[in-house]
Amino acid sequence: MARVVLQNVSKHFGTVQAVKDFHLTVEDKEFAILVGPSGCGKSTALRMIAGLEEPTTGTISIGDQVVNDLPPKDRDIAMVFQEYALYPHMSVYKNMAFGLKLRKFPKHEIDQRVKEAAEILGIQELLDRKPKQLSGGQRQRVAVGRAIVRKPAVFLFDEPLSNLDAKLRVQMRAELSKLHDRLQTTMIYVTHDQVEAMTMGTKIVVMKDGLIQQVGPPLEVYNEPVNLFVAGFIGSPVMNFIPCRILSKEGRLLIDAGSFQLPIPEKRTSYYHSLVDSEAIFGIRPNDIYDRAFAPETIKGNAVRSVIDVIEPLGSEIHLNVTTGQHNLIAVVDVQTSYRVHQEIELAFDLDRMHLFKKDPPHLRIKAEE
Amino acid sequence: MKFNWKLRNRLGLHLILMLVSLITVAPYFWILSTSLKFRTDVFTPTPKWIPWPINFQNYLEVFQMAPFHLYLLNTIIVVTGILGVQLVTITLAAYVFSRRNFWGREFFFFLFLIQMMIPIHATFLPNFLTLKKFDLLNTRVAMMLPFFASGYGTFLLRQAFRQIPRSLEDAAVIDGCGGLRFLWHVLIPLARPTLVAFSIISIVSHWNDYLWPLIVTDTPEVRTLTIGLGMFVQQESGADWTLLMAATAFVTAPMLLFFLVLQRKFVESFMLSGMKG
Repeated sequence: MARVVLQNVSKHFGTVQAVKDFHLTVEDKEFAILVGPSGCGKSTALRMIAGLEEPTTGTISIGDQVVNDLPPKDRDIAMVFQEYALYPHMSVYKNMAFGLKLRKFPKHEIDQRVKEAAEILGIQELLDRKPKQLSGGQRQRVAVGRAIVRKPAVFLFDEPLSNLDAKLRVQMRAELSKLHDRLQTTMIYVTHDQVEAMTMGTKIVVMKDGLIQQVGPPLEVYNEPVNLFVAGFIGSPVMNFIPCRILSKEGRLLIDAGSFQLPIPEKRTSYYHSLVDSEAIFGIRPNDIYDRAFAPETIKGNAVRSVIDVIEPLGSEIHLNVTTGQHNLIAVVDVQTSYRVHQEIELAFDLDRMHLFKKDPPHLRIKAEE
Repeated sequence: MKFNWKLRNRLGLHLILMLVSLITVAPYFWILSTSLKFRTDVFTPTPKWIPWPINFQNYLEVFQMAPFHLYLLNTIIVVTGILGVQLVTITLAAYVFSRRNFWGREFFFFLFLIQMMIPIHATFLPNFLTLKKFDLLNTRVAMMLPFFASGYGTFLLRQAFRQIPRSLEDAAVIDGCGGLRFLWHVLIPLARPTLVAFSIISIVSHWNDYLWPLIVTDTPEVRTLTIGLGMFVQQESGADWTLLMAATAFVTAPMLLFFLVLQRKFVESFMLSGMKG
């Protein structure tokens, strides 16, 4: 069991800086998720922890030991790769046993550990097969099994579910979460899929352009994103952003989006007061926009007329792409909503859940809570 | 109707194939047939395809006249010696060129490729002079030495190694299997088809080598089968076709057997290498 600490870590590939000034502590037994768009440096950060890349600056510690100069095999880590990386010429059993064999474990212990891991993952009947005889999901299970048998202090996952189909991905997601519960080991997981990040992690680390944007528990990151990028990246469908101006009218603050105005809730007034007469970006999640007919009474007053462009019925909810004035928005509305394309709809905004971001990069969120 | 068309096409194809096979096999059959004939049966007004009575005496005579067993031994030593060293050198070179980063890697690999471009005959003279300087002429080593490094083999194997995904190496490194252990435990087993293909090509071409062994050897003790046969034709047999064919049959038999046993691999190897034997 171990805590992983990265201090001031950076990585340059020639003139390209893949990871910049990276500070992160992953506590013992934590399931940390590095998430961000492709090319944001998350895999590079993981590979540095694994020892597959050398950091240009900074120190990496696993447990109480600085591991910068330790080869990967001595770091007490195991890694699962996106392409499974199983040895094609070895059976499942041999794939799982290989690392232990190289470490000169006694035969009976190798056997015991492999069978134990196979049982956990439900792959006992596959032990004699070669990787090419397995499906994608089975291969990924074997890859996880290969990591488990080592009983490492830290598990590293590099987009392990990206090659699986959507249904299997959901299933494996739950299985990996269960595995974390069962093994109680530190896990660091890289993904570009924000759903994986939200559902699996106890801590998520949002990255962009080699820089950490925000670190926190999933719901905190979702509810209190530090900037426009995090707000747009976490959550699906993505948050709506509307450039606006803050006005003060008869003692109340208003969001003026040009084609419509919305009142800012009174309890937020004190936070936003300094913004009066300046420009900002108004953000609201699609789930916080309602068909007025089905909206809670308290927000029915914050309604805006919109024209429906696209209707996406998902069964449990309906996604509407609408045009409100000159702005395009997405709203997740009640399944009972019965409109057709090009019709007008009144959308009510739950402004208690709105966000305001500064107009200038990096578009920091303007705090509205203690 | 459709069925008939198919049948007719197939029949036509088989007829052509049979004809081509016949033309290919006929000389070998004729060699074997003549080697088992009596001298008087060689030139008859109507060609005799099946020798009767069978005469094995020719083979005994050939062995009495020239040390073909020694030639065979030398050939086996030379061919396996070349292959053995080649497998080590090309594997290491291909590993370095495909998996290690170092200054001038592309340039050095280019030099290896140049070896494939230069006709082997152009290097005979410098090689000969080098061997002479080291006092190695007329030895088995002289026949092998110039072929110990193979640009072609290195190229072939490098391509095979390059196709093995990087993540496999990462996984191996984390398993504690980096560097040469990765080469031994992962790369070589995965590149086995390429190694087999190269081995077949190497064995066949060096078994049939004639010019170089002829240049660097001048005593029967170190000569190989092809040289032995050449000498036999010129000096020993005169125009005795039965002896000549017996010797030829003996020289070609091992390769034919080799081919029959590994037929499928042969075809695969030439498909893989994209060249004809």
